[in-house]
Amino acid sequence: MVAVLLIIVPLGLAFAMPLFNFVSKRIAAYLPIAAMVCNLILSILLLPSVMENTRIVILGGLPPPLGIHLVAGPLGVGLSGLISLVGLAVSIYAWGYIKQGAQDKYHALYLLLLSGATGAVLTGDLFNLFVFYEILCISSYALVAYLGDRNGVESAVKYLIQGSVGSGLILVGIAILYGMFGTLNMAQIAIHIDNVDSPALFLALVLLVTGFGVEAAIFPLNAWLPDAHSSAPSSISAILSGIAIKVGIYAVARVLFTIFGVAVVFQYVLLLGLATLLIGEICAFSQDNIKRMLAYSSVGQVGLIVFAMCIATPDGVGAGLLQLVSHALSKAVLFLGVGYLVARSGSMSLSSLNGIGKRMPVVCFACVVAAFSLVGLPPFVGFAGKFLIVRAALAGKSIFFTVLIGIVFLATVVEGAYFFRMVQTLYFKDAKRQIEYKKVPASASIPIMALVVFIVALGVYPDVLLPYLKSAAADLLNKAGYIKEVLG
Amino acid sequence: MRILISCVLLVILSLGLVFALEQAPFGSNQIDNADKPGRFYLNQGMEKTGAANVVTSVVVTYRGFDTLGEVTILFIAAIGLGAVFHSRKKVKRYEKEKQSASLILQTGCRFLFPLIVLFGTYVFIHGHLSPGGGFQGGVIIASAFLLLFLGCEEKKIPMKSMNTVESLAGIIFVGIGLAGLYWGESFLENFLPRGMDYMLLSGGVIPIIYIAIGFKVGAELAGIVAGLIERNP
Repeated sequence: MVAVLLIIVPLGLAFAMPLFNFVSKRIAAYLPIAAMVCNLILSILLLPSVMENTRIVILGGLPPPLGIHLVAGPLGVGLSGLISLVGLAVSIYAWGYIKQGAQDKYHALYLLLLSGATGAVLTGDLFNLFVFYEILCISSYALVAYLGDRNGVESAVKYLIQGSVGSGLILVGIAILYGMFGTLNMAQIAIHIDNVDSPALFLALVLLVTGFGVEAAIFPLNAWLPDAHSSAPSSISAILSGIAIKVGIYAVARVLFTIFGVAVVFQYVLLLGLATLLIGEICAFSQDNIKRMLAYSSVGQVGLIVFAMCIATPDGVGAGLLQLVSHALSKAVLFLGVGYLVARSGSMSLSSLNGIGKRMPVVCFACVVAAFSLVGLPPFVGFAGKFLIVRAALAGKSIFFTVLIGIVFLATVVEGAYFFRMVQTLYFKDAKRQIEYKKVPASASIPIMALVVFIVALGVYPDVLLPYLKSAAADLLNKAGYIKEVLG
Repeated sequence: MRILISCVLLVILSLGLVFALEQAPFGSNQIDNADKPGRFYLNQGMEKTGAANVVTSVVVTYRGFDTLGEVTILFIAAIGLGAVFHSRKKVKRYEKEKQSASLILQTGCRFLFPLIVLFGTYVFIHGHLSPGGGFQGGVIIASAFLLLFLGCEEKKIPMKSMNTVESLAGIIFVGIGLAGLYWGESFLENFLPRGMDYMLLSGGVIPIIYIAIGFKVGAELAGIVAGLIERNP
């Protein structure tokens, strides 16, 4: 029953924001922190009990096929824990970082973005998934344009157009499914879907995957991402790269594995993931703008996660989920850190950051750790993720996968090249002019270092996560089990 | 050449769509299962919820959580617009010689304004009995404010009280949901007595939620209109 509070607390606080504003303008920045602390504690408390058996949270007093319900399973609660962890770090950061514009509106939109993300990963109803996905998307359009500068507004409009077309496709896909099965409950659709063989069903699958794929930034639907992530305020880039994309991936995986469960499509999406990985990494390599480089690197990492998940074995999905966690933590650190590097040096170009590592040691150290983790160096969590992906892909001993893993290694080499170039710029190049920079405030360095601690700790002891990943992977892959848990 | 290729692609795509949608069942019951929710809503909606308008019982009770989400989306649109406008510098335009509207227009606006608001209020208060509801009523109320802007430009909407109404209505919606969790068993559960069928006070929490939605939608849309008009004098 408590799981509904994960969605309601941020939502309610966002609704109440104008009232808090009458009391004091300064409360606004504390509300996201309070909501995320509450969500983090709730998720951690819920996680052990939902590991044993999935809880169905009924809404509106009606049992599953009739009303809407939440599925508090290991995957949903685990992801909501990840969302609140990264969300908490970013909201502490934003408390000191966001100093211009209508700050109360920023914090309200931020809370709504997080409640949309939490709702989307917890719900068990297809249309409800769409509604929360829209909450997530629309608040991120507004936040990308928050600074109101030319780049921000332009990329927000691009994002808005592509996202809305995607949402339209999802809606048509849901309509086709509802027309065929007369229900929006994901478990009930999943039961009946095997009995029907119709081209309309395939169309629905294509529409849903394409629509959710826009937010997940799967190639060729990722044109909006580099612009939106690079011109948003850095706290928003962190949350978009860390959380919003992951919700898109979750939605695609839910549709592919739980609702449809057709093995033929996995191979196709797997190849799309590989293409996304290659294109993302190569584009990232050719960037000079550091935020665009990070944005393209997100595209590449998404490709890797999709690739791992579409191996469609429990090990593969588990490895994909670990990579998802690793990317959420590392990319949040990178965007948050780079936010202050860019703010202090006054330019986003890599060459303007020459030798900045000696003057902003804490932030640069954190960025380097996160970059090494993304490349997959031990002892950071990215190593565990990539190692498990390789192991899962080679488990079948097929030549096909061996070739694909070769391509993944190639992409990793490219990834290593541009991240090492970044490290070289930060530390080993001499700055043209010597200016003392203002110190980075504690509101930024504390959340960044906290996330770095997670990256290292999970890298040294990945075993802590493995049981959760295993049951989360089962939650996605075991269609019969999911149906049984929801409908009894 | 380019046009030719795109034409061919378009033809292939549309043939595929036609082929796929040819068998799509629009409105028919292709899969015959008795546990279909739609059947249940039609047959037992009135009994279960006490709302004479079945659409309302679906929107507010069965899919109440979606409705909360939809109200939130509108809220996001309103504050998102506010945030972007706040940051963008106001573009300087040449001040047009403003001419106030004629006496007939102004008097007409003043005369119609309360009537439209009354009609909107009627629509959302009776949402559980007759066609209409919170969203429709709210939009009607917002149209009254639009009329005010068009007819008597010098009238300003008190934005502060609009924000308060918006915020309070949202809190009431969430609060009713939490009350359902506290006194009943689940979030947004109908925990009040059903009352007498077909009367104004029936349907438990449904009319309260719809009134809150009506106020919220009305205030949000009026706020959006006001924001857009202030940008473009």
